[in-house]
Amino acid sequence: MITGQFLEYSTGNFFDEMFDMGTELLTRPHYEKVLKRLSALTPSEFEEKRSQAVSSFLEHGVTFTVYGDAEGTERIFPFDLIPRVIPDEEWTIIDRGLKQRILALNLFLHDIYHEGRILQDGVIPREIVETCPYFRKEIIGFDVPKDIYVHVCGSDLIRDDKGTYMVLEDNGRCPSGVSYLLENREIMKRAFPRTYQAMGVRSVEMYPELLLKTLEHLSPRQSQKPVCVLLSPGVYNSAYFEHTFLARQMGIEIVEGRDLIAIDSFVYMRTTQGLVQVDVIYRRLDDDFIDPLFFRKDSVLGVPGLMNSYLKGNVALANGVGTGLADDKVTYAYVPEMIKFYLGQDPILESVPTYLCWREKDCKFVLENLADLVVKPANESGGYGMLIGSESTKAERDEFKNRIKENPREYIAQPIISLSRHPTFCNGGVVGRHIDLRPFILYGSDMEVVPGGLTRVALKEDSLVVNSSQGGGSKDTWVLKK
Amino acid sequence: MRFYIYHRTVYLYPDLVNNSFNELRLHPLTNDFQQCKSSLISVLPSTRLREYLDLNGNLVQYFEIPTNHNKLTIEARSTVTTVSRVDFDQFPYGIQMDTLKDIEQRVNCRNYLQDSTYVELSPEAWRQAIDLQGNSNDVFQTSYQIMEFIYSNYEYCKSTTSVDTSSTTVIRDKKGVCQDFAHAALTFCRCLGIPARYVSGYFYDHTKDQSMRGSEASHAWIEVLVNGRGWFGLDPTNNRVVDETYIILGTGKDYRDVAPITGTYFGRLPTSMEVDVSVMKQED
Repeated sequence: MITGQFLEYSTGNFFDEMFDMGTELLTRPHYEKVLKRLSALTPSEFEEKRSQAVSSFLEHGVTFTVYGDAEGTERIFPFDLIPRVIPDEEWTIIDRGLKQRILALNLFLHDIYHEGRILQDGVIPREIVETCPYFRKEIIGFDVPKDIYVHVCGSDLIRDDKGTYMVLEDNGRCPSGVSYLLENREIMKRAFPRTYQAMGVRSVEMYPELLLKTLEHLSPRQSQKPVCVLLSPGVYNSAYFEHTFLARQMGIEIVEGRDLIAIDSFVYMRTTQGLVQVDVIYRRLDDDFIDPLFFRKDSVLGVPGLMNSYLKGNVALANGVGTGLADDKVTYAYVPEMIKFYLGQDPILESVPTYLCWREKDCKFVLENLADLVVKPANESGGYGMLIGSESTKAERDEFKNRIKENPREYIAQPIISLSRHPTFCNGGVVGRHIDLRPFILYGSDMEVVPGGLTRVALKEDSLVVNSSQGGGSKDTWVLKK
Repeated sequence: MRFYIYHRTVYLYPDLVNNSFNELRLHPLTNDFQQCKSSLISVLPSTRLREYLDLNGNLVQYFEIPTNHNKLTIEARSTVTTVSRVDFDQFPYGIQMDTLKDIEQRVNCRNYLQDSTYVELSPEAWRQAIDLQGNSNDVFQTSYQIMEFIYSNYEYCKSTTSVDTSSTTVIRDKKGVCQDFAHAALTFCRCLGIPARYVSGYFYDHTKDQSMRGSEASHAWIEVLVNGRGWFGLDPTNNRVVDETYIILGTGKDYRDVAPITGTYFGRLPTSMEVDVSVMKQED
């Protein structure tokens, strides 16, 4: 029975997560219990729960920073009370597909920074790798601790108009968002304690503990309790809240570059008790900034001499250096080939078809069909600098044409995927909004995917951009037990 | 039951080695009693992994590393579901030994009745096998007695045998590991005309005190063909009829057909080989 605020709901011409649209709305079975509970709420009760959630975010200081915005930098990440539910059968495939993917990406990075067999065999063009701004030729031949490059990966998944899960991109540098996932869960457990219990939702609380284990696994000093720290760029970073949150949850120190010092190829932390040797650095800082002696000379965020200690094997970094290569959206297009090459398998999760402007044929197609495509810069994150053809003006498209012609390597294009929608509370009513999913994968002694993820929702009507920096919100993600 | 198996093998070489070529039989089998839900096999240094199906029906992954390296890591991660293949209240008794003659010429039996690389049929083995059979005239009963005999009379000890130890040596010295116990059992079964094959795989130790032998590495046992009832697994290392806690990687005439990792390279012998196997039960 569909009642209450859902009476007027329409799925439009999209794949809806909660309802199957036949002649009438049919609730998907895994949503039944939660829908019953939500329908029973009057608009005022719903509003009350919502304002409780908002004030709870404020009290906890769960905020983020928007760059390039004139009014105040810190904002609350808008939160929607209607949870996204993923049944076990779907999750099993996601879990398997993501593990396959992160394993292949790690093998790829290992290969590129050693023999480069995939390049020699001509599966991936050498030029692609060597022109990537995040390719670190400085570490070729270096064996990273435990041979793992990407320890924390956040891959973005979307569903198309048929409900097929697809990987949109991988974030193998410093994926953020996990603190919202954990905070959202806390709030949902308080808002709907009985429904949460009754649905058999898999827990996500172990994330900080798992992350710490993942970090400790890398320690060069296995004989004693490893000293791990979280290296943050500081309070002005958009994810600073997350840095403090994770450090507190793991019970490790949060440090900035100036708190660390490299002496004789070891890294120490300045403490009130004197210097303490550091074994593992969970850095939330891009390669470029971690060591002014090695990478960018003008970085004031890093630690001079850190890379030397890393290359001597005296300190471990998570994620490893050079992983940005896996984030490159041009590299992304080759992940299915990597999976076939290194693992001898077909990819479990589909990728979005990608046109590489770097290829002449693709480029021509992109320039001719700009209005029907999404154009993205190959090496930007956070949804900055992209063009959605269908929503663009002629002037914008012309500008992009010029940019692409000037620097084809830096742009890729994808068909506009009609993302799945999810009922979301907006402007006093329940309406359909586009969503994606960012699950988090940890790779320590083995790979582990936290059952859940950050479901991001584009709050503006018909918008396809879910990034928090572009006005997106989030939902809790409930992965059900068998 | 549902299991997650993590199997890692690391070879460390004293010097650089090269021209390494290896075949891996680490992909769990799918049959009526077992389903391989997922399998991820990876090799470091990174290299192209290819596969083929061998004559025994096992999926083989193989790779080459022509360039210098001093460490080789092979990891296999699998998820497998199993159902019990045998009813413990009703073992497949009732098939007489003299019916074995009818199947000895069958193509799918002949390989499992003859000598093979590590299974040597000798007059001495034959004499012992006759003694083991005693007055039993039942195929399953006889095979069970062979398993029991090996379990109670052979000493389980590591590092006294190698991967190349043949069944003649095992039967003489009465000691070894799971692979040797399996080779000895195969010898006795084949001497008596019972088709018997070698099985490579893992098991989940469900005993409270983790008392089963051989869980730290990959395991081996045998299967005998009970005419008309199918193949049944017997584990001489643990004196157990194989049930849903066992996971099969592959089957063959002996170790040589199903060695989890086999290959060649140019260079000195490894300084160490670490094997790490963990079998975890997952919720169904």
